[in-house]
Amino acid sequence: MFEFPRWTNRIRNWVGLGLGLGLLYVTVVLTFGFSPQATDVGYMPVQPLPYSHALHAGKLGLDCRYCHTSVETAANANVPPTQTCINCHTNILPESAKLVKVRESAATGSPVPWVRIHDLPDYVYFNHSAHVRRGVGCATCHGRIDKMEVVYQEKPLSMSWCLECHRAPEKFIRPKEEVTNMAWEPVEPQEVLGARLVQQYNLKPSTDCSTCHR
Amino acid sequence: MPPLTSPPRPVRDRSPLTRAADTPARFEPSGRARQGSLKGRTYWRSLDELADSPEFRAHLEREFPNLAPHLTPATRRTFLKLMGASLALAGATACRWPAELIVPYARRPPGRTPGVSVSYATAFELGGVGTGVLATSFDGRPIKIEGNELHPFSRGATDALAQASVLELYDPDRSTRVVQRVATDGRMIEMNRSWEEFAAWAGQHFGTLKSRAGAGLRVLSGATSSPTFADVRARFLKVFPQAKWFEYEPLSRDNERIGTAMAFGKPHRPQLRFDQAERVVCFDCDFLLTHPASVRYMRDFASRRARVDHDQTLNRLYVIESTYSLTGANADERYAVRSSDIPALLCHLAAELGRQGVTIPPAIASFEAPPGAAPPRYLAEMAVDLAAHQGRSIIAVGPRQSPDAHAVAALLNEALGNVGKTVHYTAEPDPQRPTHLDAIGALAVDLHDATPRTLIILGGNPAYDAPADLAFDALLARHTVVHLSLYRNETSQHCTWHLPAAHYLEAWGDCCAWDGTLSLVQPLIDPLYNGRAPIELLTLLAGDELTRGYELVRRTFKAQFTGGGDFEAAWRRGLHDGLVPDTAWPLQTPSTNADWAAIASRIKGTVSPPARASLGGGAPNADTYEIVFAQDHKLYDGRFANNGWLQELPDPITKLTWDNAALISTADAARLRVRQDDKIEITVGDRRLSLPVYVLPGHAPGSLTLPLGYGRPHAGIVAQGSGFDVYKLRTAARWHVATGAKVRRAGGTYRLSTTQDHHTIDSDVGREETKVRVPELLREGTLEEFKRDPKFAAKRAHALPLIQLFGDHEFRDKPKWAMTVDLNRCTGCSACVLACQAENNIPVVGKEEVLRGREMHWMRIDRYFSGDPRQADDVHISQQPMLCQQCENAPCEQVCPVGATLHDQEGLNVMVYNRCIGTRYCSNNCPWKVRRFNWFYNHYGPKHPRSKATGTPPYPGTLPQTEITPIEMMVHNPNVTVRTRGVMEKCTYCIQRIEAAKIKARNDGRPVRDGEIVTACQQVCPAEALLFGDLNDAGSRIARLYPNERSYFMLETLNARPRTRYLARIRNPLHDAGGTQEQGHAPQHVGGGAEPGRTG
Repeated sequence: MFEFPRWTNRIRNWVGLGLGLGLLYVTVVLTFGFSPQATDVGYMPVQPLPYSHALHAGKLGLDCRYCHTSVETAANANVPPTQTCINCHTNILPESAKLVKVRESAATGSPVPWVRIHDLPDYVYFNHSAHVRRGVGCATCHGRIDKMEVVYQEKPLSMSWCLECHRAPEKFIRPKEEVTNMAWEPVEPQEVLGARLVQQYNLKPSTDCSTCHR
Repeated sequence: MPPLTSPPRPVRDRSPLTRAADTPARFEPSGRARQGSLKGRTYWRSLDELADSPEFRAHLEREFPNLAPHLTPATRRTFLKLMGASLALAGATACRWPAELIVPYARRPPGRTPGVSVSYATAFELGGVGTGVLATSFDGRPIKIEGNELHPFSRGATDALAQASVLELYDPDRSTRVVQRVATDGRMIEMNRSWEEFAAWAGQHFGTLKSRAGAGLRVLSGATSSPTFADVRARFLKVFPQAKWFEYEPLSRDNERIGTAMAFGKPHRPQLRFDQAERVVCFDCDFLLTHPASVRYMRDFASRRARVDHDQTLNRLYVIESTYSLTGANADERYAVRSSDIPALLCHLAAELGRQGVTIPPAIASFEAPPGAAPPRYLAEMAVDLAAHQGRSIIAVGPRQSPDAHAVAALLNEALGNVGKTVHYTAEPDPQRPTHLDAIGALAVDLHDATPRTLIILGGNPAYDAPADLAFDALLARHTVVHLSLYRNETSQHCTWHLPAAHYLEAWGDCCAWDGTLSLVQPLIDPLYNGRAPIELLTLLAGDELTRGYELVRRTFKAQFTGGGDFEAAWRRGLHDGLVPDTAWPLQTPSTNADWAAIASRIKGTVSPPARASLGGGAPNADTYEIVFAQDHKLYDGRFANNGWLQELPDPITKLTWDNAALISTADAARLRVRQDDKIEITVGDRRLSLPVYVLPGHAPGSLTLPLGYGRPHAGIVAQGSGFDVYKLRTAARWHVATGAKVRRAGGTYRLSTTQDHHTIDSDVGREETKVRVPELLREGTLEEFKRDPKFAAKRAHALPLIQLFGDHEFRDKPKWAMTVDLNRCTGCSACVLACQAENNIPVVGKEEVLRGREMHWMRIDRYFSGDPRQADDVHISQQPMLCQQCENAPCEQVCPVGATLHDQEGLNVMVYNRCIGTRYCSNNCPWKVRRFNWFYNHYGPKHPRSKATGTPPYPGTLPQTEITPIEMMVHNPNVTVRTRGVMEKCTYCIQRIEAAKIKARNDGRPVRDGEIVTACQQVCPAEALLFGDLNDAGSRIARLYPNERSYFMLETLNARPRTRYLARIRNPLHDAGGTQEQGHAPQHVGGGAEPGRTG
């Protein structure tokens, strides 16, 4: 039978402490290090084109739906086809070096591969139309896109984050006509406005598993 | 408990069947229930259950039988090794999942929204008969086939084969390239070529042929109803006037053509109206499953069946057949006789009808049984019944019966006044065509000639499925053979050129339905594997000015378009609707005029001595048997052999998966002293084949059924090692039925994987309890019983007071989803099982896993036999679809430690895959056994049917597939999660369809309309047996059907409060005693119907 040599008595406390701290360290790293807050928020991949939402949606004031056409009717908001870019850019900055890939795509028909930023797990089914038409603002989930030179993920998009709104929609809901207004601020207290809108829109967001997981 | 590694085979003599000869069996049928009530019949799933064999007990007692040996034996060392590896990998993968690309269109087609599925009308043609379907396309890839409601032969439903055709499209084993076989140094070498290289070769080769007017050119094609194909063929023959064209189908309805030609002077096609027929007599005719118009016929038949609720009348279906067909399973009266005796029985029936005052030509009316054989008594009763329903009956004869039998059937329908009422005729297209059998024979003779020919084979596989005595594969060697096919199959191995064909979802075309209705076939996707349609190949070879399928189909359509008006509008409408209106052939009422004396004498000649014995009811001759070559319910003639969905679909009758077997009667099994899995050797002439037997209760003694289409050596990886090739016994002279076969026990066994004993709901306390339990699960009664007490079904089980410990669930301002399953409509065709598989991304697990009871189908059709297995006429089949019952007090939810299965506010029992940790407690606690567990990465991995490395033998190039390939991924429904290993899954009432409809309705600012949500199984059902809807919507169809008199819940005493409700089946036997002998008896109370011990 194995016996620990006598000298190990001296380091016994230190080993115990080390194990305890190590366990704590691992727990803290796993809990916070791997949380969506740490891994997803701020995700800003390099895109194939230097497209600026700050310019188009902010400075020029284009409505979100000019490009993301199916946001009110389908599950996906959808990235616009190259044709949408070309509609304007045949006249505006037709020679710009930044638009080489757009012109290439329009000429050859091969698409521009964008990198998805707001990426939910495959077992989650999110539907844009169901939210946009009930008074959930674009900015509520995507942040101030109109101020982003390069788009990044601002919210954690975690399940608990989704449920914050599904459990208490009055805290987040806005008038339907203000959905795409990035700069919208409630003129009266959000709780009052929200409660009224929830009533008016007959909102009963479900917290059933089947709502999002199928 | 038997050892887990290899359960010993049961002691042979435990089976009551094999003992039947020497001692009285232990099995005592519960009275002769045949002549009366269905109450008190004993139900059983398999002969194993009846004999209470160890295999059956293993499946019954253990939720997961044979679990232990198939998981890695865990030593401490392997455990630490695996855990270490997992931990190390965990850190590397947990940061963020791989980047995903969004690839928008450069130029988006008008009306297309990425991520929104679109349905296109097209048509699925099989064996020369088309059926209209809608193909659902998601982002350009077809993922699901639905029926086309506008099409008269679909009516919104399809069969299982059409459902599975979408998997065939993506099959990685499909032929992907042009291959030329070149002789080098005396050996044949395969060279990869391109279509351009083939076109260059063809230009030269066919140019020479053209200069010789096509002398020596032969074309072999399958049957097709395509007008474009006919047009292209005519043009081809104009360019090559001396070329000869042959049409061959291994499963042919030619006997019907010849028979009707005999009767009417010209071949005719019967158009039957099962919705108007009060009496139907089927002679070897499986109109519910294997008939080309079965989808429509099933709808018609079921709608007549459903009238019992309105006017308490029912039609009566008599089936006289050798093997147990699906039609037989739905019969009110079924008689098992050998197929070769059926023509004589038809004549006897005619003679009996003559005696009832029906006008029958004297040559037939005087038909007499040969000495020593009296016609069975039931024919006289049947004749009385038919004579009382003149003009409202149908006599149907199956394709394997002789032309004479078809002629007599035509005569009987005419004599009974059915023609023009329940039986219509249309002229057969292409009446001059030689029979398929003659055509292939003539081609073989022609190829025997020494002069080299050029043979074009369009789509077929004659090296595999031509009559065996022609030795077709050997004939091909000396000729230049061009073969266009979906797969590099057995025939491709002998051809000079192999060309990949386009799938019907990839190519333009057209086809006609059973009644001639024209449908356009439009592609949903560019050819994945570089394939081309037969019409495109023919025009390429003939040097037509048009070669693209689209142009060819339009040209034909234009030529047919004579009505005036806008051609483009008609074309677009045809594409949109999936059919062209008013193109059905005109109905005709021909009158019979045949040499009945000759027919009668020929039929008399077929009555051979052994048949005589069986006709007279005596013991069939022990020495010789008849062999019936049958269309397989899943693989058709073998062309779908590489389709995993079809291979794993349990056969509706035998519940066999992945294999075929010789179906044999219990009497013959006893005589040969074989039981299921034992091999027998069949000798027909000088041809021999040994294969395992499946003892099918209710099969006619003296007859063996061999399903075609298995044992294909070159079908693809999925089909490797599946079944036995019975075409080897099928010669031109014995094409449908071979008489005089010798059968002996071959020794040795082969494990058949049948699912009949899997997921048993009935009790584990033995047969006595099963006797009580099954009639409570599956309730059926006779018409008289129903008339006497319409609520008889509810009284089949004890009504216990059901008390809730807590308050009832309320679903006030929410929908309350529910489903009804009408057993009176359901035929058990299993199309729903495949539709569910296609809709819900259900994986295929392979034969080995099925043997362990791990098939993943969310739906199953429970098939029960009842009656005395030793008397073929007494065995009934009853079927019951089983799916998640969506209990309100779900037993599964109470045991889930992680809350992965719980209720939503609409009362659905939802399954949250991402929460599931795989304890399998829920499955253990499910009384209905409808939960399925993913033991492996079933969409890939070593157990995937494409990964044969773990099976035997290891084929080259079939190492375990370690990830799902992009091409296999394409068939998946993106609206349903693809489940991973270790996750439990089950039916969700198609929650993705419910949610989609709810979101759409809410966006439109209206409530969900009744009928807007259609589950996949409901949508496909040709019999309309399934209905889904909202019980809280008082006007919905389901709210009205739910309280139907025939309705009942399964296992109501458990108080699980299921949402799926069943409607009892009503049968209409000839002698309907209406359950008088047992009237008033409550079922015995054995051990409590509730069985609380089993559920919680």
